[in-house]
Amino acid sequence: MIDDHISFTETEQLTCQGARLMERGRSYFIAAGGPPSLAVVLGKRLYAPDLVYALGDGTIDPQPDFPPRKESTPYTRATAWADLNTVRFHATAGYMDYAVLEAIQVDQYGNFNTSMRGTDYQRPRRRFGGAGGANELASCCWRTILVMDLEKRRFVPKVDFITSPGYLDGSPGARERAGLPADTGPWRVVTDDALFGYDEESHRMEVLAVGQWTSLERVLQKMSFEPLVAKDLKVLEPPSLLELWCLRTEIDPERVQLAGLESDFVAPQGGWIRPGGQAGVMDEAAYVDMPASYQELLERRAREKKGT
Amino acid sequence: MVSLQVIASGQGEYLPPDADGFRRFIRDNKPRGQVEKLMPAAEAVQRFVQDGCYVAYDGSMGYKGPSTILREIIRQRKQGLWVGAGPGGLEIPLLVAAGCVTRVDVGWMNPGPTIQQALNEGRLKLVEWGNGGLSYRHLAGAMGVPFLPMRFIGGTDIFEHSGAKLVKDPFTGENIVLVPAIYPDVALIHVHQADRFGNARIFGPGYAPWERAASAKRVIISTEEIIEPQEIRRRPYLTTIPYYMADAVVHAPLGAYPGHMPGLYLGDRYHSVDLVEADYSGTIGEFLEKWVYSVASDEEMLEKVRQEPPREAAVRGLSRLTDMMLASSVKEAFGI
Repeated sequence: MIDDHISFTETEQLTCQGARLMERGRSYFIAAGGPPSLAVVLGKRLYAPDLVYALGDGTIDPQPDFPPRKESTPYTRATAWADLNTVRFHATAGYMDYAVLEAIQVDQYGNFNTSMRGTDYQRPRRRFGGAGGANELASCCWRTILVMDLEKRRFVPKVDFITSPGYLDGSPGARERAGLPADTGPWRVVTDDALFGYDEESHRMEVLAVGQWTSLERVLQKMSFEPLVAKDLKVLEPPSLLELWCLRTEIDPERVQLAGLESDFVAPQGGWIRPGGQAGVMDEAAYVDMPASYQELLERRAREKKGT
Repeated sequence: MVSLQVIASGQGEYLPPDADGFRRFIRDNKPRGQVEKLMPAAEAVQRFVQDGCYVAYDGSMGYKGPSTILREIIRQRKQGLWVGAGPGGLEIPLLVAAGCVTRVDVGWMNPGPTIQQALNEGRLKLVEWGNGGLSYRHLAGAMGVPFLPMRFIGGTDIFEHSGAKLVKDPFTGENIVLVPAIYPDVALIHVHQADRFGNARIFGPGYAPWERAASAKRVIISTEEIIEPQEIRRRPYLTTIPYYMADAVVHAPLGAYPGHMPGLYLGDRYHSVDLVEADYSGTIGEFLEKWVYSVASDEEMLEKVRQEPPREAAVRGLSRLTDMMLASSVKEAFGI
């Protein structure tokens, strides 16, 4: 059940769902900032403390301060300050398990777009920043996780521009034929309403789980292509109090990232949007029962798990 | 026996990777001895940045970039430049608005109305490579070879709009992407410390500073601090770029402003936000006038920043010049 005290934004929802996918002892290759990096950081704090991550600029396994201090940077207390080429060599050589990225459009084979909307490359309807490091990450990491909002205009049969590769045309060996490393490819798409994977044979996107606050029907209505649906469809739990507490008090207390400068979903300042869409403010009472330390948080979580 | 066979080619434009031409240029133009190269930003840009040339720079106006030199390029109203943005930032809309840049090799750049409008009017042409593709091209240039194989961009529209080729690898018979080397006319690299000959040290992660310097015909080093040559020899393991690549050494304290320089200062996000707002409100011309054209140099610009009235503390997380300093010197920041 959704706790009456808890309300959350879509960005927080994305971040928390993403965090739950994080695995112990794995390496994650990300860009600094935004829900993908928040998801990795939250996952590292709550579920997989020994995961390591590298940033596209060359930072390897940083330990930034939480809560952030004035002088905090994404590369604080890293094990290495390498450079852009070096971490790409590492990814190409197979050291990077997961890419975690966001996109403005994705198709049913997991190809995604961060470059432009429109059909004429030199005269786009709207130009975006470009690939950045997304193409290399989605090409060379073993698995790619996308973190993005579920919307009809984003989940499309054909993206306007393939910035980064999914399974390309979906045919067996398509990535290898394009010169990409073998056995790599898209793995999960985390959205605010559902979790997706890919069918191993057809490489088509597949609904794996649907939020308990919505329904499969409503999820499908938010997509412009029809995905496969897993036989054992799971239910997504909403963000837990612990996740939100960790996110709001430790990782981003100033809401620099959670507010999401480009988010469509920012509620009036200090507010959050409830799953139903109604804006609300987190009840102060919800903080009362918060753990005093990270250790206590982990212990409590372990107890919670045993209890259920 | 498998022969190298081209399977697909991107349509993007690129300068022919003339490795031997580059070698000859280096043979004929770069002094081998330790020669003094200290000069003001204005002189460096006058001498080494020509209209229509290819300008590579490392970092952006957000992080570690050669902002002082870029502003000087704008001030001198250079035209028809082709730049690499791998990744770039707010300097791209600024350079485009100022009429300096007509072509961008895109890794990443700050989008916005200025770029959108320039594209719509056909004043700006783009070629795609991704950050990795661009830095591999500089790596190839730095190695003095015409191309490098790499295991990304294949199969995508980035490939289609790049100058890359998909070939059958003659060793394994598998398909692989090749990118052409790039030999820029000039590279701009902002560093923490350099001596007057151009031996340079950079601290902090990212991006591809030595590859860009080593692949370029001319190199302008701008530096936070000038240090003595014997200091370079005391810790040779810290030298990122050796002197013989440098053509100019410009002393540029706060030379990455409004960007962040690792260890020394945070970015001035007020200035960056002002620039974004200027872009979106169609007043980027006024921004240029205020911060570039109406001042003779970056020293004057920074003095102007210092005299700016303090802003409301309402916008959390934003810092000003006085507030953004992390350390007063590289020694304080890194113990070096």
